Amino acid sequence: MNKWLREDLWRHLVGIAICLFALFPLYLVIISSFSSSGSLQLSSFLPREISFANYSKLFNDPTIPYLTWVKNSLFIAGSVAVFSVMIGTASAFAFSRLKFKGRKFGIQLLLLVQMFPAILAISAVYVIMERVYKFAPEIGLGTQPGLLLVYLGGAMGVNIWLLKGFVDSIPAELDEAAKIDGASEVQTFWLIFVPLAAPVLAVVALLSFIGTFNEFILARLFLVDMESRTVAVGLQQFIGGQYSQNWGPFAAGSILASIPIVIIFLSLQKYIVSGLTAGSVKG
Amino acid sequence: MTGKNMTYLIRGKVAFVIKVIFVTLIASILLLLAQSAFAQREYVISGFLAISVLLLALTYLSKISIPLKFFIPGILLLTAFVIGPILYTVTMSGFNYKTGNIISKEEAIVQIKVRAIEAAPSGLSFDVKLGRYDGEPAILASDINTSEYFISTLDARIPLVASSVTLNEFGVAVEAPNFAPLNDSEFATADKEFTGTRFAFDDQYFIALEGFEAGVVSQQVLEFIPEKDQFKNLLTGAIYTDNGRGNYALAEDKGVILEPGWRAPIWFENYVNIVSDPRVREPLIRVFIWTVAFAFLTVLTTFALGLLLALALNKPIRGRRIYRSILVLPYAMPSVMSILIWGGMFNTEFGAINTLLGTDIAWFSDPNFARVAVILVNLWLGFPYFYLISSGSLQAIPSELMEAAAIDGANPRQIFRKITLPLLLQILSPLLIASFAFNFNNFNLIFLLTGGGPRNELDGEIAGATDILISYTYKIAFGSGTQDLGLASAISLIIFILVASISLYSLRKSKVLETFA
Amino acid sequence: MNTKRFGFAGVLAAFALAVSTLVAPSASANTQIVVWADESRGPNLTKVIAAKGDWVPGFTVKVVTFSSFDALKDAFDKATDASGPDIVVGGNDWVPTGAKSGKLAPLTLTAAVKARFNQTQFVDLTYKGKLYGVPVDINNVAMIYNTKLVSTAPKTFGEMVSNYKSLKASKGLKAGLCIAGGGMSWGAHSVFSALGADAYQFNSRGGIVYGRAFNATTFGKNVRTYLMDGKKSNGFFPATDTGCKDNFLAGTVPYAVIGNWEWADYVAKGFTMNLMPVPGVVDGTYGKMFGSVSGALLTTFAAKHGVESAAKSLLTNFFASTDGQVRYQAFEKRPPAEKGAQADATVSAAQRGFGSAASLAGIPQIGAFLNSNKGGANYWDSAPAYWTAVLIDGKDAVKEASKLASIWRTNTDGGRGDL
Repeated sequence: MNKWLREDLWRHLVGIAICLFALFPLYLVIISSFSSSGSLQLSSFLPREISFANYSKLFNDPTIPYLTWVKNSLFIAGSVAVFSVMIGTASAFAFSRLKFKGRKFGIQLLLLVQMFPAILAISAVYVIMERVYKFAPEIGLGTQPGLLLVYLGGAMGVNIWLLKGFVDSIPAELDEAAKIDGASEVQTFWLIFVPLAAPVLAVVALLSFIGTFNEFILARLFLVDMESRTVAVGLQQFIGGQYSQNWGPFAAGSILASIPIVIIFLSLQKYIVSGLTAGSVKG
Repeated sequence: MTGKNMTYLIRGKVAFVIKVIFVTLIASILLLLAQSAFAQREYVISGFLAISVLLLALTYLSKISIPLKFFIPGILLLTAFVIGPILYTVTMSGFNYKTGNIISKEEAIVQIKVRAIEAAPSGLSFDVKLGRYDGEPAILASDINTSEYFISTLDARIPLVASSVTLNEFGVAVEAPNFAPLNDSEFATADKEFTGTRFAFDDQYFIALEGFEAGVVSQQVLEFIPEKDQFKNLLTGAIYTDNGRGNYALAEDKGVILEPGWRAPIWFENYVNIVSDPRVREPLIRVFIWTVAFAFLTVLTTFALGLLLALALNKPIRGRRIYRSILVLPYAMPSVMSILIWGGMFNTEFGAINTLLGTDIAWFSDPNFARVAVILVNLWLGFPYFYLISSGSLQAIPSELMEAAAIDGANPRQIFRKITLPLLLQILSPLLIASFAFNFNNFNLIFLLTGGGPRNELDGEIAGATDILISYTYKIAFGSGTQDLGLASAISLIIFILVASISLYSLRKSKVLETFA
Repeated sequence: MNTKRFGFAGVLAAFALAVSTLVAPSASANTQIVVWADESRGPNLTKVIAAKGDWVPGFTVKVVTFSSFDALKDAFDKATDASGPDIVVGGNDWVPTGAKSGKLAPLTLTAAVKARFNQTQFVDLTYKGKLYGVPVDINNVAMIYNTKLVSTAPKTFGEMVSNYKSLKASKGLKAGLCIAGGGMSWGAHSVFSALGADAYQFNSRGGIVYGRAFNATTFGKNVRTYLMDGKKSNGFFPATDTGCKDNFLAGTVPYAVIGNWEWADYVAKGFTMNLMPVPGVVDGTYGKMFGSVSGALLTTFAAKHGVESAAKSLLTNFFASTDGQVRYQAFEKRPPAEKGAQADATVSAAQRGFGSAASLAGIPQIGAFLNSNKGGANYWDSAPAYWTAVLIDGKDAVKEASKLASIWRTNTDGGRGDL
């Protein structure tokens, strides 16, 4: 008993304490979503009422095509995740494995570019896509493909950092063996590297998915049309009004929007842990 | 699919044909776009697309460079949407680019000319019908108060006898001899033709259209003299010249300007301002110090808590799975929602925090408490990430090392301090540095939680107690009131140099870059 | 091998180029007027246009709805003529910056059209003597009192405070007077003014008084008397508006300043619209309230798109017409700015309550004075800062008031040239 107390009790105590810390705000969001008043004011910790008004508003109000928004969000975030991983992985492989002139300079440049405070980036991108809209309205401002292109602009820089360490940790002997067998670099990439890197790629895809899912500043500028909006943008209409804010539907919508992410996260947990750290462990 | 099949797919004639078709398809699309862009006079975009086609063809259809095959798409996208905006920002930092000086000079001249037309003091206006008189654009004007009617072309005004016109139910003339009114379908093309046309009225005034049915007697007050690049006031004779900073101003009194102005290059003035103007410099220094402190404290607290959890849950105790699932929730939730809820929790009168603690701390009104709140929320948001990576890293440390140390007589605390911790830091240092850089520019948190406050507006403060460099710059660029994007760009560049230096220095020190030599 | 690949690619590329030269950019006349609006006005405008869309012969109207007012402002700030609207339904405080920056275009209305509006509404949309839009709906606030707690309309500010103190314990009151609509700067001007701090003063002829601000000492002393208990707030007037609406609806606050856009919520909970301006310190005086208009503003992009006259016609024929306004307000349910629509029977009785409060104590919201277009603190940030400084931080009411007065006087004098 003493041994358990000394070795395990403190672990449980720490675990429980931090879990309470983690859960508390989420609990409040859930209560807000079930209360019929439209404010964040929480007068008691136990819900005074359970009302589904907010949830039903999300599904029944014809001016709120919530499910369409979710579909849009999933499509955009999913596409960005997939392409982002492809671009990032290929670049990380090239930078880590292949020797070429300007490699060190290139990766430093990539890191630096990521650090630039992108205050005016939104204005600049808006102007660029406006002009693209003039000659190619299918991929310009206001379209989902256009927004996808903008999001993918940053794909290379962001993911290289996470992936580089992992690529380094794959022994070079594997590459040598493949070369002896007559494989080119591209074949080495697809046949040997990608299968090995699956956990890391899953992590990168997931992080990219979550990030894109939550992004609303660019999305609300680009996807104005009610039918093409994402969830993050659509929910803004509850709290970005000129004179009033309606927290109830916002809380309900946020909870629903986070469920798929949480499910994916939890089911991929094992991958995530090994993937995130594989990127930092060398050999 | 076995390796052999995949090899067949990736190499061989079939693969080659597929590759060529794919590349030419993309090349054709891009060329099409390049041509359309050129037709719409977007030369920069057109040139970029053309060069992209060339690079793509060269990369994938020849053996010029193998690494390029891997990252040319990424680089093209990066150039368009990341490097492009960066160059734009750097360029704008050399301009006087703020509210009142946003558009181009040509556009500003057009606008000033529009505003140079003023209604006559009498406010006289007519109901008009658009049409043609003897083939020329003309208006049929009616004054329903005095029952006077006339036709006005560009050169002449032809009064009409009341009996010769047909009136509608409002008393407005709709038909007149020799006057062919426009029918509805012609209005679209007529807009460009009739708008801005000056229909004759008398020597001093003309009639300007205000919509399709009203004409207002107006005169031109300012005249543009292109050879001298000046505006002249036709009534007072005053001359307005280009003041080099984006406005036409009176020579005698530089404060009197014509609006709108334009974005004019002022080179390094924005940077000089940052250094020399105390109103800009003082807040900047203060905000910088807090930004560094904020980023550092965030990394410290999130790492410490994450590591503590990793150590505590390193052993497969009962319920570890459940703990782990709950502990990653803050990271998996949309941060927008979480931050806003935390904001509500800190409310002085009704917030959950004050209710729980039984206090009435004015969290967001007191500078120090606001800072504590910001760090606390960032801790909540960030500890799962460090928990996850610490967990994995701990498992990666070979247990033989720790067992050997235990055999040598070291107690757990010594093992941790001398072996585990240093190894962990070495493994995680790139990620710690990355977290510092990320939080240095963590706009979302500050903007959504405190808005940068608290701020003492009554004493004229612009920068709040929790403002970090990026949120302060955002306020300068997009806040309510005067928006100064040129200054914000200059500050952004300075921030960038700071962050880049700090990060590069730490990277050099941690020898991470050596792996790329 | 290389040449073969290049040859293949070259042929296809040439083909692509040849095809693309056949694609010429279209150059037909533009027959569409684009109107941008926010998440509440947009859908209502769309409904009106769907029912009747031929306000300008030969042109169609397209309404683009943004997800929130913030998103609308954000997009309009960044818009250029490639994607910008021809008309934008925005706040009147957009006019000075939009005009200065060359985004909004001036228009002239005929006397007949102008006569259909209250002339002060044009002041809200005027910059340096030129008008930039047409008033659409009026936004103002008024004070509502809960007859279950206080049976009669209060005559003075002091009466409200003593009612609060006597009922506080028995009814479990959370506050006495709070701002449920309009925020602690715009809506709270009624309280500032009731206690003696007007943002700008009018002389007997209705003109603005320059060079002077409100009497900081008198105001500060009033704040001490009515809102404070020593160095702390006496609980009558909270410094933030959080929870105010919920508390009033729950019956724990007797007086609230509410906005005319949310009256339906109160009626739904069973309250009658007992509306009045906030009573002043002296019987018969009242706190002045801003009446602001949202405007349909004309952009400079309209001229670039070749629809300048069409857009101006839409403004006159639809936004400034009785018919258009009645149809629009049937959905929007805000008080219309146009007089003919105001007299229409479908404008609800609730709006008349706001209207009469406004006629007793309404003043125009003059952006030139409130926005501090020259830089420095403006009314919007300094006003709530005062409440925080005095009621929460415990700073001296008179000292902070003189800082406030000096800011407001600077802005009024500085904004004179922008009228």
